[in-house]
Parts: sequence; C-alpha cells; structure tokens
Amino acid sequence: MKALKLAAASLLLAAGCNGPERYTQNDLQLVTAYTAKDFCSCMFVMGQDEAYCRAWTKANPQVARIEVDVQHKLVRTSALTLWSGAARWKGEREGCVNE
Amino acid sequence: MAVAAAVTAPGMAAAQQCPAGAVYPEAQWEDRSAETKTGRPEAVAALDAWAFTLTGTDEERLGLRTDGLLVLQDGRVLYERYGRGFGPGNRHLLWSVTKTLTGLMTAVAVKQGALGLDDSICKHRKDVPESSCGVTVRHLLQMSSGFDWAEEYEDGEYQASSVLAMLYGQGRKAVVPFVAGHAITPAPGKRFNYSTGDSHLLMGVVSGALRAAHGDAFPWTLLFDKLGVTSLTWERDVAGDFHGGSFGYLTPRDMARVGTLMLHDGCWKGERLLPEDFMANARTVNVPFKTTPLQDDTAYGWQIWLNQPVPEVGLGIPFPDAPLDTFMAAGHWGQYIVVVPSRNMVIVRTGDDRAKVPNKVNDLIKHSLALGVVP
Repeated sequence: MKALKLAAASLLLAAGCNGPERYTQNDLQLVTAYTAKDFCSCMFVMGQDEAYCRAWTKANPQVARIEVDVQHKLVRTSALTLWSGAARWKGEREGCVNE
Repeated sequence: MAVAAAVTAPGMAAAQQCPAGAVYPEAQWEDRSAETKTGRPEAVAALDAWAFTLTGTDEERLGLRTDGLLVLQDGRVLYERYGRGFGPGNRHLLWSVTKTLTGLMTAVAVKQGALGLDDSICKHRKDVPESSCGVTVRHLLQMSSGFDWAEEYEDGEYQASSVLAMLYGQGRKAVVPFVAGHAITPAPGKRFNYSTGDSHLLMGVVSGALRAAHGDAFPWTLLFDKLGVTSLTWERDVAGDFHGGSFGYLTPRDMARVGTLMLHDGCWKGERLLPEDFMANARTVNVPFKTTPLQDDTAYGWQIWLNQPVPEVGLGIPFPDAPLDTFMAAGHWGQYIVVVPSRNMVIVRTGDDRAKVPNKVNDLIKHSLALGVVP
C-alpha cells in the first residue's frame, strides 16, 4: 500500500507538479534503474542466485517486475508500465551497465 | 602515524625506500587460522559471536549481517570466515571502499608523472564546464570541491539525492560532466563535504591522465595486477568512465592485498608503486576537514578515514579501542579494509548491514585485534 502511494506521488511529480526535488528522475525511474543494475551485478559479478538478488535489491517502492535473461546476462525491470530499466553484464572487469 | 619520507636521491634504488621485513602474499595467503583457533580460542569465539550472530529474519534486515571476515597479522591469515551465501571466491560490492581504490589510482598517476596534485580538473578532462576549472586533484582527494552536492542514500528523499541521480538517474550516462556541472559554493578547498561525486570525478580525471598512454586497463596493468589481485571488477558509466566512488568489487582476500599495500606505505615486494609521501599525506587529517563544522564522526584524509581526534571541530578519538594510527576504507552496508600499522594488521569485512549498529567499527577492530599479538 505504501508502495502504491509512493508510486502515485511519483507519477504526480513526473506529471509536472512543482516539488523541492533537484533532479529530474522520479522515484520509479530511479528504482527501476537501480534494481536492473544492482540485480545484474548481484548475479553476474557477485555470483549470487536470483532469490538472493531479489532480497539484495529490494527497495521502496519495489519494482513490479524483474526479468532475468541468464543466457545474455541481461536484467529488465518495470513498474506501473510507464517506467522500466535494463542492465547488461559486459565482462569480468566491466561488470554491469544500465542501458 | 607515518612520517613523510625523505626526498628520493636520483638513482637511489626504489627498494631502499620500502619498509624492511614486510611480508607479502604469494598466489595464496599463508593460513594460520588453525593455530589462532588453538592458541586464542576465546578471542576467536568472541569474534565469531559478534560478527556472525544474525538478528530476526532475513526480510527484516536487522543487525550485523556479515558476508566475509578476514583478519591478518604480519602478512598471514589469523581468521577467515564467510556467511550468508558468500565464500572466498565471491566478489563483494565495495560501495565507498571504491573511493580508496580511486585514491590509490590517483597516487599511481602521480607516480607515473601523468598527474599533479594541483592540476585543474580541466587539464585532464574536456567534458567539464569552465566554471569547474578551479577544482584541483587535491580538492577532490580532500572532498572539498565545493560542488553543491547532497550525499544522500536510500534512506532519504530519492529525488534530493545527488548520489542516486548520478548512479541511477540523469547522471548515469556520463558521471564526470554531471558532477562537474553542479554549482560551486563556497570556493574549492574551503569546505569538507563527503561526496561520492568528488570521487567519481577524481577517477575521471585520473582516467583522463592515464588512458591515452595505458588504455582502459590501466587500473589493472599499473596497480592491481602487480598486487596479485585477480577479482577486481570496476563498473563504468554508459560513457565508459569508472564509477570511482561506488562500484568496485573484490573478494575479501583481494581487499586484504589492497590493505597490505597501504600498510607497507605503497610498496609491494620491494617495488614502490605509490609516491613516497602519498600514504603519509593520505593519513593526515585534511585541512578543510579541520575548518568545516563536523559532519561525520570519523576524521578524513585523502579518500580514507582516520582514527584521529580533531580538536578543531570537537571530534574525539573516533574508535577508542583502536590504536590512533588505524585508518580505513569504509563502504555502505558495512564494507571495510582496516589497517593498523602499529600491530602490523589488516582487517577486512564485507556485509549487508541495512540497519545502524552502534559501535560497529570500534567493535570490529577490538575483536579482531584480540586475535593478534601486541608487538
């Protein structure tokens, strides 16, 4: 419920309401990008499994959907259909990068 | 406290400048953990209990949640234990321990003659605004750029956080111009303001100085390969710049190699990898820290935390159970590389502490020191 309220607040802000925020991204844009990048790093850099990485990246508001493509080392996230993130593993030294 | 070393005479062998009798690891660390368990069973049990006793359910994210703990003295492992699905082969996210790696890379760039501490950032980066040209390498090492920066994490308002905007928002495509685009107030060098942005920008400047001659692999070829570090992952932004303040990953055993380099004044097996005075300067409380109202409860040098009192700002000894020469790299959620020169000890800890734990660093050091001998 809290997540829904936060999400609704984020939508209002994204729609152009004036707030004290200094930066342009709303909470759901930040959280979808965070979850995609850090989930990718958790699995493909830290070597943990999907269940562990769900707990590791759990944030508020939570993203609705996390899709892991193990073969291509790609993680996609989405929330409220409007917001999404994606991160891909690039290599042993490079780790993961938001797309 | 280390004393600034003398000026090198031309032609003097580098090995003469390095600490005598230092023990470095080969491909593996020498393991004395069985002897420690036999010789100091109570101290080992106390450290085990302190570090590895979980509180509540995993979902509640309470208390200490240790993933790895490694204690070394005289270059040998006294204690090594892992938890929560981690083992010696797993890299761990370092968060702000990465800043210390950036400080070391800055030292390497100076040693290479590619970078000066008083160079403007604009000398090495063409993608920063002219308004930021008063910021120097030294200012960034000291966390005193003057950029109007809000160092907030997930506990605050997301949209007010400069860190979240940099890592996951509008800054993530190109962190260097994002950080340097912030307004500067007051002038650079005046105010200490712990900033992940300053560290990202610093690594961007170091890259600007080294990349042309050494390519993107310069952290590995110029430093980490020489230490025998094999696990380093260092993530970058979309433009290809290293996230110098947050996204390094190492195994605890490799974190201990970094600690050992710092313990031995930037020398590795007789080779001086960092300038002679760098670690001494990095371990001195920086001037802006002494003139800025106290912000953190630990003293700061150059991309490293110090267990030193700072009477100018009313700071007592940060960790009373640790010797005053203790210094450390420290990261969000409980990542540490602690170096205690007077005990010849390095302590490495990784974790996932989401709740505040009172006296955490003091107790980590206290319990770890109890495993070693007092020289």
